[in-house]
Amino acid sequence: MSRKIKKAFRSNEPYILIIIVILGIFIQIRSGQFFTGNNIVDLLSALIVPGLFAIAEFLALISGGIDVSFPALASLSAYATTKMLLDMGYEGNVIVPFLIAVAIGAVLGAVNGFFIGYLNLNAMIVTLGTASIFQGFMQGALRANQLSVIPSGMKGFGTASFITATNKVNGLTSILPYTFIILVVVCAAVFYLLRYTIFGRGIYAIGGNAQSAHTAGFHVERTKFLIYIIIGMIASAAGVCRVCMMQQCHPTNMLGMEMNIIAGVVLGGVALTGGAGTLTGCMLGTFLIILVENSMILLGIPTTWSDVFVGLVIVIGVSLTAIQSARSSKGKKSAAKGEA
Amino acid sequence: MKKTLAITLCAAMAAGMIGSYTSVYAAEADPAADESVAKAAEEGWEIAVVPKDSTNPWFVRMDTGVKEFADETGVNCYQIDTGTIDATTQAQLVEDLISQGVDAICVVPVDMASMDSVLQEAKDAGIVVIAHEGADLQNVDYDIEAFSNAGYGAFIMQNLAEAMGEEGLYTTMVASLTNGSHNEWADAAVEYQKENYPNMQLLEENPRVESDDNGDTAYNVAKELIKTYPDLKGIMGTSSFDAPGVARAIQELGLQDKFFTSGTGMPADNAELLKSGTLKSLTLWDPAQAGKAMVDLACKVLNEQEIAAPVNLDVDGYTEMTFREGSETVLEGQGWITITADNVDDMGF
Amino acid sequence: MAQSLLKAEHVKISFGNVHALRDVSLEILPGEIHCLMGENGCGKSTIIKIISGVYQRDGGTVEFNGQKLDKITPIDAINLGIQVIYQDFALFPNLTVAENLALNTELASRKKTVSWKNVRKIAEEAVAKINFQVDMDQKVEELSVAQKQMVAISRALMSNAKLIIMDEPTTALTRKEVDALFKIILKLKEQGIAILFISHKLDEVFEISDRYTIFRNGEMVAAGNMKELDDKKFTYYMTGREFADKVFVAENVSDKPVLELKNLTKEGAFSDISLTLRRGEILGITGLLDSGRTELALSMFGMLPADSGEILKEGKPVKIASPRDAINCNIGFVPEDRLSEGLFLTQSIGDNIIISEIDRLKKKNGLFDHKKRDEEVEKWVKELEIKTQNPDNPATTLSGGNQQRIVLAKWLACDLDVLILNGPTVGVDIGSKHDIHMVLQRLAGQGLGVIIISDDLPEVIQNCSRVLVIKDGRIKSEYDTQKVNEKMIIDDMM
Repeated sequence: MSRKIKKAFRSNEPYILIIIVILGIFIQIRSGQFFTGNNIVDLLSALIVPGLFAIAEFLALISGGIDVSFPALASLSAYATTKMLLDMGYEGNVIVPFLIAVAIGAVLGAVNGFFIGYLNLNAMIVTLGTASIFQGFMQGALRANQLSVIPSGMKGFGTASFITATNKVNGLTSILPYTFIILVVVCAAVFYLLRYTIFGRGIYAIGGNAQSAHTAGFHVERTKFLIYIIIGMIASAAGVCRVCMMQQCHPTNMLGMEMNIIAGVVLGGVALTGGAGTLTGCMLGTFLIILVENSMILLGIPTTWSDVFVGLVIVIGVSLTAIQSARSSKGKKSAAKGEA
Repeated sequence: MKKTLAITLCAAMAAGMIGSYTSVYAAEADPAADESVAKAAEEGWEIAVVPKDSTNPWFVRMDTGVKEFADETGVNCYQIDTGTIDATTQAQLVEDLISQGVDAICVVPVDMASMDSVLQEAKDAGIVVIAHEGADLQNVDYDIEAFSNAGYGAFIMQNLAEAMGEEGLYTTMVASLTNGSHNEWADAAVEYQKENYPNMQLLEENPRVESDDNGDTAYNVAKELIKTYPDLKGIMGTSSFDAPGVARAIQELGLQDKFFTSGTGMPADNAELLKSGTLKSLTLWDPAQAGKAMVDLACKVLNEQEIAAPVNLDVDGYTEMTFREGSETVLEGQGWITITADNVDDMGF
Repeated sequence: MAQSLLKAEHVKISFGNVHALRDVSLEILPGEIHCLMGENGCGKSTIIKIISGVYQRDGGTVEFNGQKLDKITPIDAINLGIQVIYQDFALFPNLTVAENLALNTELASRKKTVSWKNVRKIAEEAVAKINFQVDMDQKVEELSVAQKQMVAISRALMSNAKLIIMDEPTTALTRKEVDALFKIILKLKEQGIAILFISHKLDEVFEISDRYTIFRNGEMVAAGNMKELDDKKFTYYMTGREFADKVFVAENVSDKPVLELKNLTKEGAFSDISLTLRRGEILGITGLLDSGRTELALSMFGMLPADSGEILKEGKPVKIASPRDAINCNIGFVPEDRLSEGLFLTQSIGDNIIISEIDRLKKKNGLFDHKKRDEEVEKWVKELEIKTQNPDNPATTLSGGNQQRIVLAKWLACDLDVLILNGPTVGVDIGSKHDIHMVLQRLAGQGLGVIIISDDLPEVIQNCSRVLVIKDGRIKSEYDTQKVNEKMIIDDMM
């Protein structure tokens, strides 16, 4: 039993969880509003889009790559989908928009995947480039500006309540939209993919040692190609979720999200060097960032200092986890020696 | 003291505007009756209006104004554009107009620095240059600003106060604390509230929050504010994402008619929020009016009419233009308008 | 004659303008232990990569089990029963032991999903075959080198292998582990599995191999029965040269010690180590892999500062708490893992050489003196016979022996008093090894104090004047190398 706990504390997740709980208690003391149903629902609903993005980024990082194009990719596929359906006068349900956007996302992701997988180019440079292209395509070819009306099916999906939480004290009612289910489903699917499929284990293997993965018989190039297609699909689904929830489609307001997403994923113990990290850590790290970003006022941090505070949490969090992982691997190494 | 007076004056005029918007042409705002405009129509002076681009609904609306002006007065004015927002192509377009020998150029510049050097050529060629939203340009006869920052801030506060019943706790929202005009609007609004609405209080613990120019952030920040401060009753928005984002939070939290917001916003984007009553009013300035005012001023300058404050450009909101403090070219009006459920569909953008 | 298991004939491959293999042939019989030998760069690794499907040959034929193979992919090779244990083990450092063991099998079975129960079962079976005790849930990056190799070997034994290729498998193993490995190899032979053993240590392969093949410069130079090969022939085939190895005799030994350790102790690694080193001496320190010898070396260089005890340089006590302190005392260190600790692999050969003396390559105005740098680089490339066409090439372009020489050059450029080498010829081929030994002997003759830490006993006996045997972190015994044999040392080590 104690051995299991010890083992768990070698990884990042418990530390992030502890930080989250401490922060939560602190917010509760300051505002009395943290452990209320509507606040938790607010946080979960704020987690949906960043959470999906984080899963996509997580896949890229695990495979030893990185993706900074997903906000642009998601914006483009969500915008193109919404615009197309509006022009067609589409009145149906939300499944069609998701299918179209995910298909567009797969194609755009394939562009990244082709350069990164088959041409073996640096993922950072490729996705920086494609981010500009996706964005430029939106502005140039689609002449994108804000779409204030979205198809009714999308709107209905984004505003319908999956869970409604009412605070008995102040009567505030927060709703958790059905898009949350998409986050849960994607999370579960990626968990299954990574843990229980050969393809998923291959992603870890490639991130750990691409050369060995090749000699072991993994299709390294094809796997990378497919990863970026999956990333494109997840990011596009996130884009549609965002449009549905905001009840409007803005072509640029997701841009710039990539840095905090990457910070969250790394905070959760996912290595920038590839191969190491868990989906649990990725989600916890992202949740921590969301929690901090959405609790500044509850905490009573003046707006002037809020960026500093978010930055501090990222730096302190990453340092803590880095220090503890260095310490634990050292401890384990000497333990290994002892056994040998 | 002087400043307070000016704000009060602006406010008084604005208060009049809210009621009078629907009657577009009041007696003192009829360009066809102006002698310079009549002269321009008679002489056939050619006045070209160059917007940033034409596909943006904002400038489509401006085009409507310019066309209306031409129809009403017979002045040879038209809007011409490049089709994309690009400083270089806009500069080329202005150069073309110079070589065509138009009489006046009215421009909404994409980039101040590059436009300024081209406008030098225009002035050298004896062409009258009127700018809009180009207060930093040197080589212009005049630049028209729809309003002063202080005046607009006070105007937003009037709208918010009306919605809140002139009482209760409120705070202000800006895109970022470093945004110049947003913060000036917010400062002016707070000052105006202190002068005029003794039953309203600014939330001292958090007098200003940021929306990052992002509707989603505005929505989340509003939710957080409402949770933290149960007594809070209103948020004044500045960026065009603020009030609509706050309205989404009001909608979700079930606070319609209990919590209020007002601020800048685009009509078509927010028609539904306005019609549902979640959002009582938005504030804005009308590009059609600005387009008309530019052409009117061009006529006056071409006719060598003396331009002395207060300048009457024969367009609602632009009838009492005054020079910005310390400037001899920048004219500021009271060209703000209120968008409500009633007029939102008339705007066309 | 039995039908051959693997028959490669006239195989050619080139990379750009470099003919890595000109025309080599290799024949392996079923169930035999075959040794492929050759110096670094001779094409040993290349032929393995062709057989295992990593590279595609430009010409020649490959037959396996009587079947002609046109194009081989890594999966084909595994399916045919060819397993390779690479020098770098080709393990996944970020995955657990169990998964490393099972992944290839799972992959080869063409399943789409992973059953963790199955992974566990496969892994348990794998380690059982060589009786290897390890925590299945540990990540491979946390294992020792020897343990990693055991994982790699266990993994190779998993699939229904007909041929197991081991690329220099004994390099990092202790004697005990080598013996264990050989037992396993013999057991596999009994089961009819052929082993292709790649090595450059003759004493090892002699013990176990049936037949041999020797490559040199991309060509096959000899093949035959192991029994017909002797030391002299071997060295000649390997290098094309004849050597007379010189046993080191210390001359010009200084009266006063240049370096002394007094009761040096590091908790959990070594305790109460006292020794003296004089100029002109080469002192050998040997012991088992986990005896504390490596930690001692690191402590002397300040990378693992000792807890207590004294270090005296030229009779004066000095504090060595960091490599910088050691360098300031004119102590140099050539690490065991030259790739990760001693070299900046992606930087140029020249820059690697001058890195430690970079402070001295300044003009009077304080700026970097490029002319002096080039002279210095040229001098050492020549002095140490580093085989490169251009010192501006990255260090990765060199063979192991030449890389080791750069590490040497880097330190020699600093005018040292003491040079400590940890496993100086690990992974270095026979010709380079000889050359490195000669350089060390010459340097000692010029007044340098040298400490060689090594478990290569012939190396220690031949090149050192004295040898200290360390066991369990303490000095067990000290011998004059003129009066000791391998057996005596081994008895003390165990």
